Amino acid sequence: MTYRFKTPLQYVALLIGLFIFAGPLFWLLSTMLKTQEQTFRYPPEFLPHPFTLSAFGRLFESMPLMGRWIGNSFAIAGSVGLGTILFSSLIAFGFARTKARSRKFLFAIVLATLMIPAQVTLIPLYLLYRNIGWYDTWLPLIVPHVLGNPYFIFLFRQFFLTIPRELDEATYVDGGGYWTIYSRVILPLSSPILVSGFIFSFVFSWTDFFSPLIFIQSEKLQTLSVGLQMIMGQTSHDFPVLAAGSFLALLPIGVIYFFAQRYFIEGVVMTGIK
Amino acid sequence: MTSRWKEEGTFLLFILPWIVGFLVFFVGPAALSMIYSFADYNSVTPPQWIGFDNYRDLFKDQIYLKSFGNTLYFVFIAVPVTVMFQILISVVLNVEIKGIRFFRTIYYLPYLVPPVATVIIWLLLFGTDGGFVNQLLEAVGIPKVDWFGSEGWSKPLIVTIGIWSSGGPVLIFLAALKGVPAQLYEAARIDGASRVRQFFTITLPMISPTILFSLVLQMIYYFQMFTESRLLNNGGPDYSSSTYMLNTYNTAFRDMKFGYAMAQSWILFVIILILTWIVMKTSNRWVYYESDKGGDA
Repeated sequence: MTYRFKTPLQYVALLIGLFIFAGPLFWLLSTMLKTQEQTFRYPPEFLPHPFTLSAFGRLFESMPLMGRWIGNSFAIAGSVGLGTILFSSLIAFGFARTKARSRKFLFAIVLATLMIPAQVTLIPLYLLYRNIGWYDTWLPLIVPHVLGNPYFIFLFRQFFLTIPRELDEATYVDGGGYWTIYSRVILPLSSPILVSGFIFSFVFSWTDFFSPLIFIQSEKLQTLSVGLQMIMGQTSHDFPVLAAGSFLALLPIGVIYFFAQRYFIEGVVMTGIK
Repeated sequence: MTSRWKEEGTFLLFILPWIVGFLVFFVGPAALSMIYSFADYNSVTPPQWIGFDNYRDLFKDQIYLKSFGNTLYFVFIAVPVTVMFQILISVVLNVEIKGIRFFRTIYYLPYLVPPVATVIIWLLLFGTDGGFVNQLLEAVGIPKVDWFGSEGWSKPLIVTIGIWSSGGPVLIFLAALKGVPAQLYEAARIDGASRVRQFFTITLPMISPTILFSLVLQMIYYFQMFTESRLLNNGGPDYSSSTYMLNTYNTAFRDMKFGYAMAQSWILFVIILILTWIVMKTSNRWVYYESDKGGDA
């Protein structure tokens, strides 16, 4: 008897959740398609009619560097993604496959740094970068992340551990060393996790606001995240323009998510973090 | 003997990028922040060593203490509330009915929205003039509220942002819920336990390691929260939503007191280290279970 009510109730709960999570996104899309005048109407219009793309025109007009910021963000996040795959997989391979005794101790340090936020070392890093000429370049946004982000070392190592060791032994018997095992055995079998790694590091870099804010000074070199902040400062009352800028910042991530959802889920579930 | 050293050498070669990164971008800066925290340093003139003065001054710094207090509010009030919400959502999502994958996809999406874009969405929703919520209020005759400009509302609003971007933790709770053995529920059902009772006597205890893990991770996140507080209202009226990190940022980059800011960083570092230690101690079982499964030698 009770089961008759169960499913409808579940859908009601799910729909309430849908309203909470999708509502603000829907409002963003709706605002972006309005004229400035339409945003002040009572009662608020959910589906703007007529809708217009004029907000995007105003956005690129008032922010001539907009296209450049988008390009910068792609270049930086893409480099971080590729670098992460390359270096973190090497490091993770060392931890997962070699038989060195210092592995356990060093891996404990990796795990410890996993939780310690970058924020606490930020100010000394800023002083460091100013001294070595990295301030106001992209290097601080790329190099530290590429040289072994503990999260991705952990993620890749967990995956490498699931690949049977017999494959290593077979390679060894055939005369191959660790490099052969890494490049010919492990990497080809790890493409799903490498894709996850690329996507996640791309997204972390794309959404980062703090590092470019502190390490980049020239507007021409800025990323989209900080660019959006400038839009907020300049056109705080033109809601459609704000919405359009915000939409452009989340569009690439949305596209990746819808096409590569399973890699996202894999990354989260493999590590239980983030 | 030689083969052992060769093995160590090969291992160190593979992890060399990590060693370099760890020393240059982590150990070095951490040590520097320790040293400079005992100095009066504006990054232009040479540092003046002043002993423990920076640390002593912190206890008298009303703005620092207020920002610290706000951060404690987030850590000890907002985090538990957010985690309860996340568990509730994961329970709602933990059903096998038609279309559930669609719901899971949409629920997760806000988690991926860049923080700056999220703040803009909140401006569209809670902006004083033309914001969605105020328009609704006005439509039913309630005077509009200055959400970001009021001391009472600015912190809860930041909490709602955290709640909205719950997708990641929800996914982790969902995985934990799926890991609870079904026999336990069957046994409870035979004994006549209600669903609510089952939730409190089976589900919650079974997922408690995940709850703890998630609590601590989110506490660490809130200890460093910066973007939302800075962008929504730059710390709010009278620093009502200023956070620890925002205050440190202002101390360094607005007031140019780098030594003083690094003393603050160092205290934050210690707090987070303690939290990390707690999570490592308590999640040992879980972390090592995962790696043992893979046949680690």
